[in-house]
Order: sequence, then C-alpha cells, then structure tokens
Amino acid sequence: MRATILDGSRKDDTTLNGVRQILAEELLAVGWEVQPFILHQIKIAYCLGCFECWTRTPGVCRIDDPARNITAAIIRSDLVVYLTPVTFGGYSSELKKALDRSIGLVSPFFASIDGEIHHQRRYARYPRLLGIGGLLHADAESERLFSGLVARNALNVHAPAYAAGTLIVTAGPDAIRATIRPLLRAVEVC
Amino acid sequence: MITPRNALLLVGSAKKSESTSASLGSYLAERLQQYRLTVQTVHLHQVFRTATRTAALLEAVDRADLVILAFPLYVDTLPYLVTSALEQMAEHRRGLGETAQQLVAIANCGFPEAHHNDMALAICRRFAQEARFEWAGGLALGMGGAINGQPLAEAGGPARNAIAALDQAAEALATGHCVPEQAIKLMARPSIPHWLYLLFSNWGWRRQARRYGVHNRLKARPYQP
Repeated sequence: MRATILDGSRKDDTTLNGVRQILAEELLAVGWEVQPFILHQIKIAYCLGCFECWTRTPGVCRIDDPARNITAAIIRSDLVVYLTPVTFGGYSSELKKALDRSIGLVSPFFASIDGEIHHQRRYARYPRLLGIGGLLHADAESERLFSGLVARNALNVHAPAYAAGTLIVTAGPDAIRATIRPLLRAVEVC
Repeated sequence: MITPRNALLLVGSAKKSESTSASLGSYLAERLQQYRLTVQTVHLHQVFRTATRTAALLEAVDRADLVILAFPLYVDTLPYLVTSALEQMAEHRRGLGETAQQLVAIANCGFPEAHHNDMALAICRRFAQEARFEWAGGLALGMGGAINGQPLAEAGGPARNAIAALDQAAEALATGHCVPEQAIKLMARPSIPHWLYLLFSNWGWRRQARRYGVHNRLKARPYQP
C-alpha cells in the first residue's frame, strides 16, 4: 500500500515537519510505502485554467514540470494526505498550486452524484483522502471550514474514504500521534 | 460604515482572456463608476511576476475603501493565485487595527449549482476577519460556462440574473452597505435549465477535443497504475 503526502508548508515554515515525520512513521509501522512531496521545495507553475488537460492532452497538464509527477503519484496511491497550515480555514497556496494542477485526474464530463453535479471519474479507482491541518492555536471556525473543505474535495475527487482533522503545531509528539492515529483508522490504514 | 470613494477590483482568474471572473468583476466595477466611485482593476496573474508589482498591489489594497475579489472556483475553493494573494495581504496587514475597508467576493464555477462556491466564500469571509476587512458579502454564480468570459451585456439570457444581482449589489456597496440578500439569491438562481446547461457543457468539451483531434481519447488514463 502506498501513501503520498503533499506537504503544503510555506517556505521558511517548519512547524509541520514534525507532524510529517510522525505521520510517515505511523504509516511505515503498518507496512505502507510513503512518498512525501515538500511542495515549496518543488518548482511548479500554477494552473493556467486552459482546460487542455481535459480537451487537448486528456489527463495530462500541458505544462511539463514536476506537477505531472505529483499528479501521477496521487492516482497511483492508496492514500493521499493533504498536510497544510490551515489558511483562512482552507489550504495553503503551496498545496493549492499542486491540487489545481491535478484536475486532469477527473473527466470534464458531468455526472449527478446524490443529486448534485460533479465531474465524472477518469480512473477506475481513486485514493482515500486524509486532510491534516496545522493551527497555531485552537480555532473552532477554522477547524469547521477545514473539515468541510476536505469533505467537498473527497466528493469531487471520488475518494472512497476520507477523514480530516486539525492539530496544534506546537503540541508534543504524543499529542500529535494521538490526533493522527484515529484519522488513519478512519481512512482504514490500520 | 463609510461611503466608499474608491474600489479595487482583483481578478483572480489565470486566464488572459475570456475570463468569467473578469466579466463579473468588470460589470460591478462599471456600475460602481456610475455611482462616482473610482475603480482600479488588477489581474492577479500579472502581479506576482515582480516584487515591485506585488508591493504596488499591497499599497493599492491599503488605499481602497472597497476591495472586490472576483475569482473562479478551482477544486472546491479559491485558486492558487487568489490564495497566495490573500496570504500576502494578510501578512502585510498583520497587526493592523480595525479598519472601515470593505471586502466583497464574487465566485463563479462551472457546475450548475451555485452552492459549490459556498466553501470558497466562507474562506473569503474568514480572510476578511483575519485581515481586518469588514465583510460586505459574497455572491456565488453557477453555470459560469454559459457566460464563458463574455461581457455580461453581450452574454444574453445566461447573464440576466447576474446583471440584476450586480446592479443591486452596486447600489448597496456604493453607499457603504453590504450586498443585499436578494442580490445573493438572484446571483445564485440558474438562468437556464440544468439539463440544457449539462447538454451544452458536455457537447462543448467534445467539440473542443475534436478541434484538437483527441475526441476519441477524452477518457484516456495516462497515469493508470
């Protein structure tokens, strides 16, 4: 089983390094392979909104840069983890840049899912989705928004299971593990 | 509440042309100009090319009585360009006390249901709180593909509700008020039947693919494990 961790920490922000390390340890301990991408260290362009990944080179972004590798890693995984500083309740720009570039993973065509319109699948199977957001202090509104956003993403990227949670980045390793373990169980990692 | 004298329109689409975000934002800007507001427009894709332009953007934000954020929905939330701009604006404004500056957001998506934009607008509202803006409201448009970057005045029936909503929004914003609930509802109201929009959308994707000679490969799985 393979997990891809997309670490959306902004440059010079090291507060999620410990979380990423503990997360990787927990996954390795149950026999998973782990591929982390520390996104601010990878030079990728932002999505141009051209939709050519749907209409000209189906499934592949026209921009030939490492975002293609990240997109491929996502769909070849059993679990993808969005690890990000919670930013106004959502994702950091670093994470968002990578996610925007991955829309070729779904089809341009629409389908109704539970009475709401979404994009059809391109692939037969998709990874489970786990969102982990880092906060400097407890913030119920940010937690609510973050969980809501991961839930919406899970629907649109056809994740067969998903979970979302936030943690205080200054918490100690035991507290971080105590937050991560139930989330991993929720996405059936252990 | 103050009566704004100037506004800053931030267009968050990465597209250089045919941007529905620009269409919606420009229409609101024109209406505000009729109420004698001065409006400056900045396309965020042009801003981050140089530090000078980024600094100029932050100064323009500081000067604006009203900031209008118009953007497309990408992957359920704000696109990278807008997220990055908001991060920089929040950092720039950290430590600022209460201000009378207002922020209004206009989100549009290609899904027929406008409520797909709700999460993005909630994030904008949260940004407003953190960056010391007064939240003046969020307008959500579905079926953005039906406008497809045309000026609203030329987009016909699909733009009818958006025009009426933005007329109401402009009248309120020009006098320092929040976007009325009626305008929010009007903007979200479908201007054409769902089935017709879906029919045209799916046909449109095939037509574009045919132009590139790949209409038989639209369901390709290039990264199939």
